[in-house]
Amino acid sequence: MLEHSFTAMAGPCRLRLYGEDELLPTAAAQAEAEVRRLEAKYSRYQEDSLTTRINGAAGSDQPVAIDDETAGLLQYAETAWRESDGLFDLTSGILRQAWDFKSGALPEPGAVEALLPKVGWGKLRWDRESVTLTEPGMELDFGGCVKEYACDSAAAQLRQAGVEAALVDLAGDMAMFGTPPGTSAWEIGIRHPRHHEQAIAHIALSGGALASSGDYARCITIDGKTYGHILNPVTGWPVEGLVAVSVSAGQCLVAGSTATIAMLKPADQALAWLEALGLPWLAVDAGLNCHGSIGERR
Amino acid sequence: MAGRDTHPSLLALTSSALLLPAYQQANADAPPEFTTLGMSYSRYQEDDTQAGRTLGGDSIERYEIDVAQFYLLTPVSDDWSVALDVQWEDMSGASPWFVGLDAEGDSQVFMSGASIEDTRTTVSVNTRYYFDRGNAGFTYTRSDEDDYESDAVAFDGSYNSADGLTTWSAAVSASFDDIEPTQGATPTNTLEDSKDVYGGYLGVSRIISKRAILRFGLSYTYRNGFLTDPYKLQDSRPGTRKEWAVSSGYRHFFAGPNAALHVDYRYFDDDWGIASHTVDLAWWQNLGRKTQLVPFLRYYTQDEADFFSNTPDFSDRYFADDYRLSAFGGITTGLRVRHTVGNWTLNATGERYTTSEDFGIYSGDESPALVKYWRYSIGFDYSFR
Repeated sequence: MLEHSFTAMAGPCRLRLYGEDELLPTAAAQAEAEVRRLEAKYSRYQEDSLTTRINGAAGSDQPVAIDDETAGLLQYAETAWRESDGLFDLTSGILRQAWDFKSGALPEPGAVEALLPKVGWGKLRWDRESVTLTEPGMELDFGGCVKEYACDSAAAQLRQAGVEAALVDLAGDMAMFGTPPGTSAWEIGIRHPRHHEQAIAHIALSGGALASSGDYARCITIDGKTYGHILNPVTGWPVEGLVAVSVSAGQCLVAGSTATIAMLKPADQALAWLEALGLPWLAVDAGLNCHGSIGERR
Repeated sequence: MAGRDTHPSLLALTSSALLLPAYQQANADAPPEFTTLGMSYSRYQEDDTQAGRTLGGDSIERYEIDVAQFYLLTPVSDDWSVALDVQWEDMSGASPWFVGLDAEGDSQVFMSGASIEDTRTTVSVNTRYYFDRGNAGFTYTRSDEDDYESDAVAFDGSYNSADGLTTWSAAVSASFDDIEPTQGATPTNTLEDSKDVYGGYLGVSRIISKRAILRFGLSYTYRNGFLTDPYKLQDSRPGTRKEWAVSSGYRHFFAGPNAALHVDYRYFDDDWGIASHTVDLAWWQNLGRKTQLVPFLRYYTQDEADFFSNTPDFSDRYFADDYRLSAFGGITTGLRVRHTVGNWTLNATGERYTTSEDFGIYSGDESPALVKYWRYSIGFDYSFR
């Protein structure tokens, strides 16, 4: 067994590996390198990243060349955008400029309205070879899916390296395969949205992924109503919905975007949608009540 | 996940996600990462002929074959691999010479006597090119024995669909064989002759769920030249043979017992009047992570060739009393064990084949020469990680 921790994608990352002892350190290094590769490629904050180049060319009508992996992520993001009726939108990150969740203050009048013309998946043109942001100042943010994709990709690297069982945990988004020797599943605690050191529920998974969205500490209260920290790309306002959602799926990418879409929907619609999908799920509403198919055990 | 009852949104998200490179590594075509070397030994032993069905009364020892095999597969670059396969076979024993009738009118086999002793060396070289969505290979095989030489070439390729769930494959092959029967104990049907064999295959396999794969294939083979058995007394066959085969297979993994069921079926038909069905069942049981136990069962049945008879009429244009052209059924039962220790993988197989006209679904004269055999093999692979 090997435990390997590092910090990447602005969060704590942890790998837990089982298999032939001599190949685990190399496998762990390969998986960490894969996470760092994706961070360097898609980070908004690194000057030489692909995302920075795409955003730098916004409004210039100069297509930026992309590779198959990026085209695949755009294809996925477009599917999620369509399936969420426009709620899941990788161009909405720019709206955060108007909101300061730490202070709890409302945006300056007109600030949200000024940003809205730069938001909208329909203002992005892409094909397998290139992508163009048509509005000046528009920003594409892969943050909504790249950490989850990195989980899956790191897990795939570990599997290819011959690791027998592994758990990849990138700040709470997880992918796993195999099971620890002598067990039939990975026992995973889902973090309480308010008391981070406590588990609100446990789930046993024999493979696949678990992703969570939401953080009670980052909610905002306006006129006595609690809003989540996720912004509706159409209105520019925070969503009055669930405060935390965890979903398990075959791929962390699917689990993560499903959890995010649930956070973006009004609470009642979100619960109905999660129920209809049929994946294992857990949602916490503004009153800290738990819903879902993942058992509540403390 | 992506079953019939899956919510359309989840289906759309999942199938879109699976197009990304991270999910295709498992299916991606890449050359082997390590050089693998393998060696094996196997022994094939036919049961003695039945005393009551052999002319002269005594049972006679039939064929025995000892096979040693050496195998090497190595990557030569990011997208090429080469493989070498060498096989030595040592064959000895008697084979059926002809079938005749005894005083009671029952058919009896007359064996050639323990005169046959031959060795065959087969060398096969393969090179394979791997690209994003598939691979393509070329194989040259040379086989050499005292009375037979063969040169064969084959091209094959496979191509994966964008979603990685479907694989199409195709192959063409040609073989050019020279026959020069050993002169000695029995007269032969020719002194020197040749035949060519051409074949083609088209197949498709599809991952139909997280745990199941379905495969389907069509093949055609054309043989042209001296197809008669040179050593059999009563044997005269057409100079061409056209063969078709349809095959299908299903693999299902069961998480509970940690095992996979393999079911395969093949239907064969040719213009000599032979049709056959083959059903293979195998249960691949994992025992922990390092050991696999595979019990298997095969059922085979074929119809006789139009010109087969235990009592050939020599005025016919074609005739043969070869048991391999008669109507019969055969059952093979066996067990394979595979165990991995570090870089070593050890394999052992034992199987028993029994045959009878009664096992078949087609009716015809039972050949007294039908064969039963045991086969054992043991071998290892070593990966240079």
